[in-house]
Amino acid sequence: MIHLITGGSGSGKSAYAENELLRVGELQTDAGRYPYVYAATMRPYGEETMRKIMRHRQMRAGKGFVTLECPSGLSGVALPENRGVLLECVSNLAANELFCEDGTIKDAKETAEKIIEGIRCISRQTENLVIVTNEVNADAECYSEETERYIFLVGKVNQEIARMADRVTEVVYGIPVQVKIR
Amino acid sequence: MIMVIGGAYEGKLDYAGKQYPEICWTDGEKCGMEEIFRCGGVYNFHGYIARWMKEGKEASELPKKIKAENPALIIVTDEVGCGIVPTDPFLREYREAAGRICTELAGFSEEVYRVICGIGTKIKG
Repeated sequence: MIHLITGGSGSGKSAYAENELLRVGELQTDAGRYPYVYAATMRPYGEETMRKIMRHRQMRAGKGFVTLECPSGLSGVALPENRGVLLECVSNLAANELFCEDGTIKDAKETAEKIIEGIRCISRQTENLVIVTNEVNADAECYSEETERYIFLVGKVNQEIARMADRVTEVVYGIPVQVKIR
Repeated sequence: MIMVIGGAYEGKLDYAGKQYPEICWTDGEKCGMEEIFRCGGVYNFHGYIARWMKEGKEASELPKKIKAENPALIIVTDEVGCGIVPTDPFLREYREAAGRICTELAGFSEEVYRVICGIGTKIKG
């Protein structure tokens, strides 16, 4: 089962995603034997990012998660036996894959394919995959060519995941709005 | 409490005004800071959040105070936070806080409506 969860900043999508994973994970017959995997894509740079990471860690504490740092290159990732995976989040993963450390920027379509391949690899290693993404495309600003390419990439990847997904939910101020259910 | 949310210029206030014709509305971008705790309805609530934060007040205190002092308030607000994370540190903090504040108030609300193209859809209640 793949469940894609989207929403704006501060919309409560992480909390919802976590609860959804625990809900479906509990239904498994071997529940309790294996941990949940938190696949973290955020690179821990700077104080603000660290605060965010700490906040999320506190939310997950005591719920049976093991954290796997995977800021990029998901297609090579080997997961332990698990009850479910929470991949958070696509918008960070997309930025990490698109923008190189030397300042260059990759092709959006090729990057989208690479990301999807990585997500397929994760999905083969779990019964329950919950993926958190972000709405980044509804604003009134004119962005640089690089940022436009990034927005295009996130949109493309979101569409591809939604196609694979059994469920898609948009979280609006903590309220789940169902977009797709198979 | 009731919330009417949606993108900018989607006809939220028109919609809310028709749904609740008896309500006296106040503008969150201009009203006195205490007015929100007494009025029947507030629009541009996102603007009020920005003013609250610019005064250096703790963002998490705002929803607590509204719930305690004006629990039947009708709130009309823009949904912010569906774009690229801004480079300006205040804007970054503001859009995140606006999300958290509205999430807490939506959790408390009996009904939440989302307006697109002037058409409201009940998403809670």
